[in-house]
Amino acid sequence: MTAGGLILRADKLGKWYGNVLGLSDVSIEIGPGITGLLGPNGAGKSTFMKLITGQLRPSIGTVTIAGRPVWNNPGIFKSVGFCPEQDAFYEDTTGREFLSGLLALGGFSAAEIRERTARALAFVELTADADRLIRGYSRGMRQRLKISQALAHEPEVLILDEPLNGLDPLSKRKVIRLIKEYRTEGRTVLVSSHVLPEIEALTRSIVLIHQGKILAQGDIHFIRDLIDAHPHIVAVRTGRGRALAAKFVGEDDVRSVRFDEAQGTVLFETRNRDRFFERLTGLAAEEGWEIEEITSPDDNLQSVFDYLVGK
Amino acid sequence: MRIAPFVSVYKFSARLVRRSRRSRLLGALGLLPVILAVILQITRAAAAGGGLDGLEVFSNFVMGFSLQFLVLLLSLFFGTAITADEVDNKTLTYPATRPVSKAAFILGKYASSVSFLLVLVLTSTVVSFLILMIDRLSYGTAWTFLGRSLAALGFGTICYTALFTFAGTFLRKSVLIGLVFCFGWENVVQYFPGTTQKFTIMHWLKSLLPGLGAGMGSPEGGGLTAFLLFRHEPSPVGTAVAVLLLLTAVFLALAVAVFSRKEYLFDE
Repeated sequence: MTAGGLILRADKLGKWYGNVLGLSDVSIEIGPGITGLLGPNGAGKSTFMKLITGQLRPSIGTVTIAGRPVWNNPGIFKSVGFCPEQDAFYEDTTGREFLSGLLALGGFSAAEIRERTARALAFVELTADADRLIRGYSRGMRQRLKISQALAHEPEVLILDEPLNGLDPLSKRKVIRLIKEYRTEGRTVLVSSHVLPEIEALTRSIVLIHQGKILAQGDIHFIRDLIDAHPHIVAVRTGRGRALAAKFVGEDDVRSVRFDEAQGTVLFETRNRDRFFERLTGLAAEEGWEIEEITSPDDNLQSVFDYLVGK
Repeated sequence: MRIAPFVSVYKFSARLVRRSRRSRLLGALGLLPVILAVILQITRAAAAGGGLDGLEVFSNFVMGFSLQFLVLLLSLFFGTAITADEVDNKTLTYPATRPVSKAAFILGKYASSVSFLLVLVLTSTVVSFLILMIDRLSYGTAWTFLGRSLAALGFGTICYTALFTFAGTFLRKSVLIGLVFCFGWENVVQYFPGTTQKFTIMHWLKSLLPGLGAGMGSPEGGGLTAFLLFRHEPSPVGTAVAVLLLLTAVFLALAVAVFSRKEYLFDE
């Protein structure tokens, strides 16, 4: 099969679960290459994934792949592979039986099934364990098997829902490498995650989703810039808290200074994190002040999303 | 619907059915008539030619147990599991994201479950018959009785499994509701007089049995199948077969229709 990188398009897509909003007014176009869908837990990533794989019917709007609607259109899955988030398998089958059974549902001949099963197992480094029951697989092996079923039929569009969830660092590296390898020949790969560094390790192209809405789409530098532009709280624990505060009060980039008596820290709110840290380390060196601890309690994705939606 | 996806689903599902714990557990239940037949035959042998007639035992106990309990229970657990297992185990995503229509999925899984059940129920019934009739195998009426009994059990498996496949597509507590249906409705209303009993599937199944109305009674002129046919007002065999096939087709069509339209959300 030639891989052409099909376009995945959502137009004014919305989904409600009764009165609960799952996704609202999402219009987006995802083309060849790896795109990261980034958002905190409960942002609507899984709802979006289920809508674009035809597991849910849109309440409003449309979702198409290569111009063809997804809902109740099984033919589309000849060119789409999906790796679900949930750790669910037919536990009493072996890895090989699991893959070959699902390939058979794709209409391949017996010889093709054997060949593709072997190739997919080798790709995810599970050949040696192919004939063991899945219930005996480790978490990392299960995750790799789940990915292999999504790409065994060599789809042009690969959709992965939280593929790195719950993996140890070694398994994460393996899976990241597998996903990057698969991107070749202009295929379209969409990966969801709630962890920014995971997405950064995979791609520069991201879509930010929060509270069921797409907040932004573009290069990952964009979100890094946002993190930098977003007023930052830095907590500094030192015995010279008041003296330190006095040094920063007059700085343009420092918006506020507070004392947390209970924690014994000074909280600085700054618009320029890099400049703040530069001055802080400089002062500590010049004055010989001992800095016990520096933490940035809001340096996480959730705070950026909160900032973006104006909380 | 194209046949190839149906066959693929059938093969895939047949392997899962054979391997499942449910099959092992309920498969053992399916062998119960054979075990009981062995015990009864030993008891009869110990009575030195006395005791119950083999055909009478087969009709009243084995058929009564198989038709009114075993087929119902097996069909309920396998039929409802066709979609419920995939939803509960969160594996539905895999077949749902393959180039297979929802009709092929439901019908392929139904066919694999029914095949397994038919082999189990019919084999166990034939073996029970052979054990109980070992000394009277040349008796022609007995073979006719066996044939009609197998037809009733076969149609029962096909029709009830279709009903519970349909129930499983839209009911959350389909097993519980199915149990009430089996042992409340089916096992009670079948004994109501007049037209009312025709509102049970069991009425149409029992119409397939050789009974009082069909002139296929006991060679001794006694009460063969009397237990099964108590208060039964049989319908013609042809009508019964037509109704059972129609009901099966309707239940399966409904199952496909519901499954094609419903969104299945996994409880997180």
